[in-house]
Amino acid sequence: MSIQEKILCSKSHEYLLDNEDGTYTIGLTEYAVKQLGDIVFVELPEVGAEFKKGESFAAIESVKAASEIYMPISGTIKEINDAVVDNPETLNEDVYEKGWLVKIESKAPQSEFADLLEYEDYKEEVE
Amino acid sequence: MTKETFLHGKHVALGAKMVDFAGWHMPVQYTSIIEEHKTVREKVGLFDVSHMGEVFVFGKDAMEFLNHIVPQNIEKLVFEKAVYCQLPNKDGGLIDDLIIYKIGIQNYLIICNAARIDEDLNWMIRNKKGFDVTIENESNNYSLLAIQGPSAYDLVKKMGYDAKEQESFTIKLAKVAGHKMLVSRTGYTGEDGFELLVENEIAEEIWDKILSDGNEFGIKPIGLGARDTLRLEAALHLYGNDLDENTTPIEAGLSWSVPKDKVADYNGKNVIMNQIQNGVEKRLIGIKMVDKFIARHGYEVYFNGEKVGTITSGGISPVLGSNIALAYVKNIKEICTGATVQVMIREKLHDAQVVKRPFVQKRNIVKTNK
Repeated sequence: MSIQEKILCSKSHEYLLDNEDGTYTIGLTEYAVKQLGDIVFVELPEVGAEFKKGESFAAIESVKAASEIYMPISGTIKEINDAVVDNPETLNEDVYEKGWLVKIESKAPQSEFADLLEYEDYKEEVE
Repeated sequence: MTKETFLHGKHVALGAKMVDFAGWHMPVQYTSIIEEHKTVREKVGLFDVSHMGEVFVFGKDAMEFLNHIVPQNIEKLVFEKAVYCQLPNKDGGLIDDLIIYKIGIQNYLIICNAARIDEDLNWMIRNKKGFDVTIENESNNYSLLAIQGPSAYDLVKKMGYDAKEQESFTIKLAKVAGHKMLVSRTGYTGEDGFELLVENEIAEEIWDKILSDGNEFGIKPIGLGARDTLRLEAALHLYGNDLDENTTPIEAGLSWSVPKDKVADYNGKNVIMNQIQNGVEKRLIGIKMVDKFIARHGYEVYFNGEKVGTITSGGISPVLGSNIALAYVKNIKEICTGATVQVMIREKLHDAQVVKRPFVQKRNIVKTNK
């Protein structure tokens, strides 16, 4: 199963990957990164910070503009990807293996997943 | 309705990302803003800047008329020379910034900002009473192509025009790629370069020829994204960001361009001369961020805990590897080169150092035999 088959995407262009151990990986979709162009700055939250679904938890800046990144579901930050803070351009190469943003622990109810899209549906929506 | 330049098809075919800018559908980038930026600093780049305005002013009183609407001394502008000018209102605030070229005994060419063509024309027409002068907006009849970078001279030479006799800030009628056209040795990047004023009918032909002849120099087409980062490193003002109708040339740090001894009266002269003598309340500064955070247009600037101003242009400097910005601040003596100010970024203050402008010095000497 490819990673695209496993992720859910929000309409604000974050992806959510279920690690099947109570944690989820969150990143920015390839489409969003392509739209932004050269990524030059990434600001991530601190481990332990709690965010509700829809809250801004990070900022990503391209040459042209700053964008806020929103939580696809509620959760607590368990791990952040320091490598993308040090090398923001990593996101332009890969948004999954190297370019993920944070891992969260979440007990979000099913209702929070209702507006997230399967990758194929998301792709259709944005293209 | 969004307008398209005569090179629109070329941009789309090259796979450029297109955006709306000043009413035009323009390429913001072809591949990567950072790569395009470096190409212009290290090699040579080609820009379609056909959205910019071309206004011809001619007639018996053309010199006197222009002298009345800009602070610069048009009386001293000789044939084939260009001068960077501003168009102030009666209060010294800027309607636009422009380059004026003398292209004939009583003929001048004005290159102005795309978004300001209508305002400029209205203002000129309102001010032409009593002057025997004709103002013609030819913006739709010409395409403007900019060739910028250290290899610009060699590229234009390869295209049949050796510009060794042409100094910076001059314009000449020259034959490039078999066509006669006005060639100006100017630009908006802080590099040596040329701007070619070509008839729309041959714009595509010249564009293709520049790219094919430029191949050996490593030429790339450059979008508006890199045009913005290049002009910011060179600390060149962007109208609408760093200049507006409430800002005078003195506040904008453009005193160097305003003659102190001009005899003729011009719009805003009282305010401008008064500011030269007695100082200003706000002024433009250049800052360099201490950390990795990026200051952007509209962010607030603090000094000693007090809000003192606003960022008007900010972003990355690919050449310096740090983040830079232009800001207007209260004219406080202590906010001088080397001083530390703070920028409010997402509700936190980040240190920045006041630095000299331009942020990146022009490295290549303009090639002429003089």
